[in-house]
Parts: sequence; C-alpha cells; structure tokens
Amino acid sequence: MDVQIDAAIKRARGYWFVDGFTEMAAGGWFVLLAGILLVSGNAPQATFPTWFLSFAGEIAIAKFVGILAVILILWWLKDNFTYPRTGLVRGNRVTAAQVLIMIRNAILFLLLPILGLLAASLLIVSAGSVLSSMPAWFPVGVGFIWAVMCVLAGEWMGLRRFRLLGAMILLTGMAVGIRQFAMGLPALPANVGTGTLQPLVLESINRTLTSLALLVLVSGVILMLSGLITFLRYRKENPTPYTEDV
Amino acid sequence: MTGSLQNLSGLDRVIHEPARLMLVALLSSVKSADFLFLLKESDLTKGNLSVHLSRLEEAGYVQTEKTFRGKIPHTEYRLTPKGKSAFDGYRKSLGSIFNAKKA
Repeated sequence: MDVQIDAAIKRARGYWFVDGFTEMAAGGWFVLLAGILLVSGNAPQATFPTWFLSFAGEIAIAKFVGILAVILILWWLKDNFTYPRTGLVRGNRVTAAQVLIMIRNAILFLLLPILGLLAASLLIVSAGSVLSSMPAWFPVGVGFIWAVMCVLAGEWMGLRRFRLLGAMILLTGMAVGIRQFAMGLPALPANVGTGTLQPLVLESINRTLTSLALLVLVSGVILMLSGLITFLRYRKENPTPYTEDV
Repeated sequence: MTGSLQNLSGLDRVIHEPARLMLVALLSSVKSADFLFLLKESDLTKGNLSVHLSRLEEAGYVQTEKTFRGKIPHTEYRLTPKGKSAFDGYRKSLGSIFNAKKA
C-alpha cells in the first residue's frame, strides 16, 4: 500500500516532465549555451581580464534570458497542449528554508567531496599538473555532478528515464575528457607563476572551455532526444484534448 | 487489545478508503491539481471521482476552486492543512501498525 502511495506522490511531482516539453526546452537552451561557449570561448592572451569579464557577462545574460524564455515557452505549450489533455497541476512553492536545505545538501554531497579530491590532488601533484590536466578532468567532474543530479531528480519524481539520461551525460563527460587526454595535454611547469598569463595556461583554459562546450552540446542533444521520445509517446497516449463537463 | 490493533481501529476512515487515499496522496505533493488530472491518474469514473472529492471536501481535507478557462468550466483541488496533517497521521499510523507486526 505504502509503495502505491509513494508512486502516486512521485507521479504528481514528475508531472512537469510528463510531455517531454521541459526536456526539449532545456536541451535547446543547452545547445544555445554550447554555441555561445564555442563562438566566444576563445580567450585572447593580451586582453584576458577584459575578455573574461565580458565572457562571464555574456554567459550570465544568456542564462537569465534563456531561462526566462524557456519558462514562457513551456507555459504556453503546456497551457495549449498538455493541460487540455491530462490536466493542470500547480507545483508547491519552494520556500527559502527548502532552498537553504537544497544548497546545504548540494555542498555536502557534491561540492565537498570534489573540493576534497581537488585539494588532495594538489597535495599529491603540483598546481601546474592540475591546471594542465583541467581540459580532461573538468568535463568528467561536471558530467559526474550532472549525472548525480539527474539520477537523484529521477528518483524523487519516479522517472526511470532520468537514470539513463544521467548515465549518458556521465559517459559524455568521460568521453570528452578521454578525447582531450588523447590529444595530449599542455605541459605546464610545476609552479605556475602568477601575474602574467602563460600561453600554455591560456591553452589549458581554452581547451577546458571547448570541453565544457562539447559536454553541454551533447547533453543538450541527449535531453532534446529524450524529450522528443517522451512527447511522441505522450501524444500517442493522449491524442485529443479532454473536456471537463461536470 | 494490543497497541498495533488500537492503531488500526484509530485509522482515519475518510482517508482509509483506497480511492480517497490515492486522491489525497496525489494532492499531497503539489499545490493544486484539476479534476482532469485526478480523473486520469486515479482511473475512477467522473461520478465516482466527484463523490470521493465531495467526501474529502466535507471532511475539510480538500478545498475546491471553480473557475472558467475560456468557456470551459475548470475545477482545481488542493489539500488543506487539516488534510495534510490527516494524511501524515494516516501514514504514520499505517507504518507503526506494520512495524509493530514485524517486531
């Protein structure tokens, strides 16, 4: 009985993903972000600080405008397609206390182990090695974090396809990292000097941004495909709108 | 009468009915849901669903809001704080009954 109750609770929680629109919209936004990373993410040596500020600004604007646009598109699609077919569900508002708990959990379960590993690796190897291998380990780390988030969200909402999504994103991160490793990593000296930006450090940063862009791009495509499959199945199961006449 | 059996007789009978339990469970994790969503998810007939929702409303567990979306009537349901605490209490009671049986 309790299992059935839990399943009902999870079904209601995961309703936002029932039609595939959310994944398609998120995937499209990921592809857009990857495009910006690929086009603008090539740091010049002479004007690195100015470039970095402008690049960070571009990404922040793209994130803000992108999320806003995605939410508006989703509202419209759900209002005109999903709600007339399978009904309207309004999610619970997230309180400030819940946000704080989520941040605390994210720090405890994701950031602390990663920072710990990074600190340990800095003790074992030099800062130069960590920086030079960044194009390889960064996409693996980001892919791992996204995969964990995907799987946890899937468990919370009872959506099994999120396990597959998580596995594919993790594999993508690993593939991008291995590709960068196979291409050969920049050989930085053990003690990286501060002040001037060395060409090899710049190469490492640029290749890391390319790795990240590839991971975001492939993850976006995976999300879009998953959303499309979900949408086609949803449309097949609910071909026509329903009219409430009670 | 043992403790676990006392718990069994004290179960909330409004929620204990399987269809109503399903409806309360569905409403427990969201702010509100409309008639169509509950109809699709519960697999009940329209009449049955209306009766069960009315029973929950009478008990003060569910609050109803009737509006129109264009020309189509639209009814949304949300669990009241009383309904939420009754659902939590029901789950705890059920859990304690099964745990007592295992022990």
